[in-house]
Amino acid sequence: MTASISSNGFKAGSKPRPLLRISLGFLVIALVLGLLGDFEITTLDPWIEIERMVAGIITPDFSATEDLWSAVVNTVAFAILGVALGNAMGFPLALAFQFRAVRILCAFIRSVHELFWALIFLQVFGLTPLTGVLAIAIPYAGIFAKVYSEILEESDPAPLQTLPKGTSSISTFMFVRMPDAWAHFKTYALYRLECGLRSSAVLGFVGLPTIGFHLESAFSQGRYSEVTALLIIFYVIIATIRKWVHARLIPLYIILALLVIPWTGELATSNLVRFFTYDILPHPLRVAETFDMGTLSALGAWLSIMWNEQALPGIIATIILTQVALVGSGALTLLFFPLISPKFFNTFGRTTGHIFLVVLRSTPEYVLALIFLLLWGPSMLPAAVALALHNGAIIGHLIGRYTEDMDLRPDSPKGLNLYAYDVLPRLYPQFLAFLFYRWEVIMRETAILGILGIATLGFYIDSAFADLRFDRAMFLIIVTAILNIGIDTLSRYIRGRLRLRTTADVV
Amino acid sequence: MNFVKTLATAALIASLSAPAFAETFTFTAIPDQDDSALKARFGKIANYLTKELGVEVKYIPVKSYSAAVTAFRNNQVQLAWFGGLSGVRARNLVKGSQAIAQGAEDKAFKTYFIAHTSTGLKKSSSFPKSMAGKTFTFGSKGSTSGRLMPEFHIRKNFKKKPKNVFSRVGFSGDHSRTIALVQSGAFQIGAVNFAVWDKELKTGKIDTSKVSIIWTTPDYPDYNWSIRGDADKRYGGGFIGKVKKALLNMNDPNLLKQFPRNSFIAASNDDYAPIVSVGKEIGLLE
Amino acid sequence: MPLLELKNATVQYNGTAVLNNLSLGIEQGEKIALVGQSGAGKSTLLNLLYQQCKEDAALVPQDLGLVRSLSVFHNVYMGRLNKHPSWYNVVNLIKPLKKEVDQVLPILIQVGLEEKVFEPIRELSGGQQQRTAVARAIFKDSSIFFGDEPVSAVDEHQSHTVMQAISASHQTVVLSMHDVELALKYSSRVIGLKDGDLVMNEPSGSLKASDLDGLYKQ
Repeated sequence: MTASISSNGFKAGSKPRPLLRISLGFLVIALVLGLLGDFEITTLDPWIEIERMVAGIITPDFSATEDLWSAVVNTVAFAILGVALGNAMGFPLALAFQFRAVRILCAFIRSVHELFWALIFLQVFGLTPLTGVLAIAIPYAGIFAKVYSEILEESDPAPLQTLPKGTSSISTFMFVRMPDAWAHFKTYALYRLECGLRSSAVLGFVGLPTIGFHLESAFSQGRYSEVTALLIIFYVIIATIRKWVHARLIPLYIILALLVIPWTGELATSNLVRFFTYDILPHPLRVAETFDMGTLSALGAWLSIMWNEQALPGIIATIILTQVALVGSGALTLLFFPLISPKFFNTFGRTTGHIFLVVLRSTPEYVLALIFLLLWGPSMLPAAVALALHNGAIIGHLIGRYTEDMDLRPDSPKGLNLYAYDVLPRLYPQFLAFLFYRWEVIMRETAILGILGIATLGFYIDSAFADLRFDRAMFLIIVTAILNIGIDTLSRYIRGRLRLRTTADVV
Repeated sequence: MNFVKTLATAALIASLSAPAFAETFTFTAIPDQDDSALKARFGKIANYLTKELGVEVKYIPVKSYSAAVTAFRNNQVQLAWFGGLSGVRARNLVKGSQAIAQGAEDKAFKTYFIAHTSTGLKKSSSFPKSMAGKTFTFGSKGSTSGRLMPEFHIRKNFKKKPKNVFSRVGFSGDHSRTIALVQSGAFQIGAVNFAVWDKELKTGKIDTSKVSIIWTTPDYPDYNWSIRGDADKRYGGGFIGKVKKALLNMNDPNLLKQFPRNSFIAASNDDYAPIVSVGKEIGLLE
Repeated sequence: MPLLELKNATVQYNGTAVLNNLSLGIEQGEKIALVGQSGAGKSTLLNLLYQQCKEDAALVPQDLGLVRSLSVFHNVYMGRLNKHPSWYNVVNLIKPLKKEVDQVLPILIQVGLEEKVFEPIRELSGGQQQRTAVARAIFKDSSIFFGDEPVSAVDEHQSHTVMQAISASHQTVVLSMHDVELALKYSSRVIGLKDGDLVMNEPSGSLKASDLDGLYKQ
């Protein structure tokens, strides 16, 4: 093909297209990593299991789970308390977000997955509700602080110049910055509550009395009728969230949650002190009588073993899985969003699309990954597909909603042409912004799949907790946090370079 | 922080951590197999112990071996049904705690190596070295029969770490799932607790045309009831003895099948010396 | 000495002059109309003047400076945020106090917004929003009023009411206007700008609408 010369003298094909370039760059990276990584299909005989699964899906059994309703109530109660406390801590942090120390603290606490927070708090508080509530509240406080501060920054500065001189900073804040931000806060808090429900359910995997406790058992034992029933209940809770959550009812819900949560178990300061002053000290320091050269070299050896045998391979596997899952999420997003967009489907089609996306984004990645593990055997493949489906459904939902407000010219094309020539080019920057926002989240989520046995950092952290080696766990958690913060910084840099802006309150 | 604030905080935390007034005796059990209806199943044991001990006995379910150990360490449970390895870990962490009972089967426990039929591996009395290069799954990372002992024999016979012997190594999480994964071919070989295998075979959950035993490990000591050393102080002199007696006297098959054991016999910490040395040898104990 | 004074003021944006070497004085009690094409420098001049005395002046900027999610009442009340302690303001934000509503209401009646007291700004038309901003300026109770096209979206009938209200409640008024008739009617002096130059500075009484045509010709 010859390059056409347009009238103003520019070569038509030579205009730099940074968004296309960065997309292709990420695609190539993912393909290369996919070849290097452990992706294969190894199952011999998945059919018995698939038959049982299908049989389970069509025969949901709501009576199979012991204490089903208390698990459901606990799931909602932990989510409400965790998100409320996260909100209460995140808001003041958002106000202090101009301080670097606060930003670093928030980046750190949100870079640690809630499952790891739960595993840490299990050591300190045991199997008490405090463990569950804090495991949600702490990382969420970091997220709330970041998002709230971004929302406040975006509030319209125009009214400031008309304020009478001498207006106090509190009055200024309350009248100028809060009112516009408030609506965004509410939307975002509601979205976070949905996330909180998912987190709360997932905390059951490590022993808290939520739906995940039973879901994990039922799934790993192949009791698929029970799995189906649990998932249906969970989908209904999430799909109806806008119906039962109203700002006015929140205080009531918080009180109810405090009342229904099983406040069993004792708290002991000694556990807290022991954990932070003894358990997480690297082993050579813990056993050393005196601190001398011998201790120092033992510590060096410990660090070198931890780095070479666990951290480094863990980082590599985590990055491979993250990059492949990120690109997979992007590809699926582009496939999913038309399903709920009025530009492409009628009401009936969209309802079906909505149900499909709710199911995909509400099913914990862990469960999705287990299904694919049975289908394809163990490798990174099930994990990558599970992450891509889950995140593709989340971003697809956001982008689909975004198309609702898009104006089309009256004579716009239809179907595929509309998609390729009008809708996609217009929302592509938005799409990339969402995807890059999600990058860090996807990396954090690889952790939970480590628990499935894929050797990400999460796998080594889980192993360390299983071996009760909290020093190793803590070392690896810090490595993971640093990696996450690195990805977050890189993502922000790329978004800045590409001028990808999005309202913060949706991702 | 100023001094008064520190004091106030300390007082608050101390009041939170004061022991509950009604001294409930709490126990747990490692989740080593199908863990449906745990509360109903272990609730029966709790009822039995309540009757025998004259204090309120409660069972709390946990999700992992390490959670059981942590609960024991943090005094959230005072008694626990541990595996060999988790028992050693728990007793190392709680000074004065002791193994008081084990199942009659636990004196001579075994691990089965099981394989999918497509591997062509057959039952043999010598260690099946032809496993090398295949995919392999352990049970839980903290399991004696599903991790510690099979890893020990693999290292002994191959002189290599499992991940260098097999093309892929996984951790299924528990014994029932190991069987399911090997039966479906997701993994070619697995290591499973013999008692769980025998029970699932009896209940018809295993298709022997798909999965079969290829090797049985030599005997080793496994599961045990361990109790915290401070139980006597907290629940009255001779309490540990009473618990031990109640366990040894448990003869209702309905209760025993939850474990699944035929009866309980006396045990001591020393019975688990072999586990300690194996655990140290392969680096799972420090 | 004039109330406001500019001497040889020059303003440039990216190298392009917006105001050229402009000198001007405004006496207390004057009602000034700034007229000229868009881009002539009216807003810049208005802002320059406002900066000189912003402590005792009320401003209706072109973008109005309203808080869109707050009600008309709250936006008007903001004109006196400095008169009350913070806690009082916050209470009044959460639950409008009767005492404050009673003070705001007469001004809203003046500008014809008495039926929209508790409507959020974003629900209002452009003209209603402008009237809210004017009401806020009046409520501020300053002696000088600055307005950048404060009635451009208000319908003809009401624009007179609003202009009268502005004039009546401020000693000195400086407005940029594009409606020549209104400018002449409610000002004592007209200042005409063209491409950043001061090209007209006349008492309004001596001018007819057609005299201003020159300002709008290329």
